Amino acid sequence: MKTKHSRSLIALSTSALALPGIAHADAPPTESTLSYKISNYQEDDLTRAQVPFGELGRYDIDVHQFQYVSPLGRDFALFIDANHEDMSGASPWFSTANAAGEPVINMSGASGITDARSELSIGTRYYSQNGNFGGAVGYSEENDYRATYVNLSGSRNFNNDLTTVTLGFSHSADDIFPTDAELFNRVRNEDKRATSAAVSLSQVINRVTTFQTALSITEQSGYLSDPYKLQDARPDNKTQIALSNSLRYFFIEADGALQANYRYYRDDFGISSHTLDLSWFQNINRTFQIAPVLRYYSQSAAEFYTNIDDFTKPLTEPQSSDYRLSAFGAFSGGINLIADFGDWTTTFTAERYVANEKYSVYAVNQPSPALVQFVRLSLGVDYSF
Amino acid sequence: MRIIRLTVSALIALAALSSCTQVRPWERGYLAKEEMAWDRDVLERQLNDHIFFSKEASSGGNSAAGGGCGCN
Repeated sequence: MKTKHSRSLIALSTSALALPGIAHADAPPTESTLSYKISNYQEDDLTRAQVPFGELGRYDIDVHQFQYVSPLGRDFALFIDANHEDMSGASPWFSTANAAGEPVINMSGASGITDARSELSIGTRYYSQNGNFGGAVGYSEENDYRATYVNLSGSRNFNNDLTTVTLGFSHSADDIFPTDAELFNRVRNEDKRATSAAVSLSQVINRVTTFQTALSITEQSGYLSDPYKLQDARPDNKTQIALSNSLRYFFIEADGALQANYRYYRDDFGISSHTLDLSWFQNINRTFQIAPVLRYYSQSAAEFYTNIDDFTKPLTEPQSSDYRLSAFGAFSGGINLIADFGDWTTTFTAERYVANEKYSVYAVNQPSPALVQFVRLSLGVDYSF
Repeated sequence: MRIIRLTVSALIALAALSSCTQVRPWERGYLAKEEMAWDRDVLERQLNDHIFFSKEASSGGNSAAGGGCGCN
């Protein structure tokens, strides 16, 4: 695998590591790169035991991602990101009890739901001898959702570029206008705001080890409920905190690298979670690399989660049967095959995700019957010129 | 809050570490390898963040949040 200088992008996640002989501790890209990735992920069908009536199919989603990165003058870089998603299928609408008192799902979209989402963001970054600073503005649009956002972040290097502190800020203003609002008595037009701040510290431990710790805080306000769930009412504000720790270690004899990331999350809906993901990047030769990945996730339930909707409960009280607010655990495993042909790099990814209440490290008092499983395939191409 | 105290402690510990480790510029070849980057594949990380955001309750961690979607 060829050696590339690590670059700090909008997502403030890179430590500044200078190659020997480079005058600037942080440097903009020296060449332009055009990247494209196409992905498909398909959720498993539910079973008739879970869905007594109606369609069993869930979502099928195609994603197209584009990125253009280019030097801009001597000290600047330009970043353009564009994404497009096509979604079709059905999702859980409400939950009731069967004759045995167990939760079962009623799916929405008898004739199928179709939606498309497009997103564009443009950003720039300035690189100095001791750090970098930049930002981006973005816009996304769906059939029933619109978001405008701005990101700013800056990094400063210390201690002969062995230590990097990064601060980031973002704000998003979203509008929600559900389809078929009058037909299904949904809200007509609501809005949501999210403001986020993050700080991270990266440290070179030795010539083969780096470590990063990061804290992010997000405040959401406005309409936070799901308008497509029949009995869904959530508080109109939410505070989220996430603490991440990441390790990178290069095994010289094996010519491979271990990537380990751990995140602890907590919000005031009552949800906390643990996420651990491990990747091993094995160089086969100068052209090929194989990277298996494994991820474990577990979350607790929201305080107002219920796996059987109570239609006698007024919507002024928080309640939701959305499986994403239930207690569960999930494993995902996958493989990346990477081929580096100099100016061209291609990456193929296959991944399987399985969520189950039995995988949870938290107590599961009300298991959801709607936990999701999916297979994802991706093919990416990068061209440098 | 306990999580804030833990974070501050970790930051202080790492700052203290910074005064102990010295890796000279000519020793940083392994650190500059692509597989040692925090984001080896930016599009993959963005895709994973988006997919898991739409399937799970958690988000955030190593960066400020980006744009929203109707998926969660």
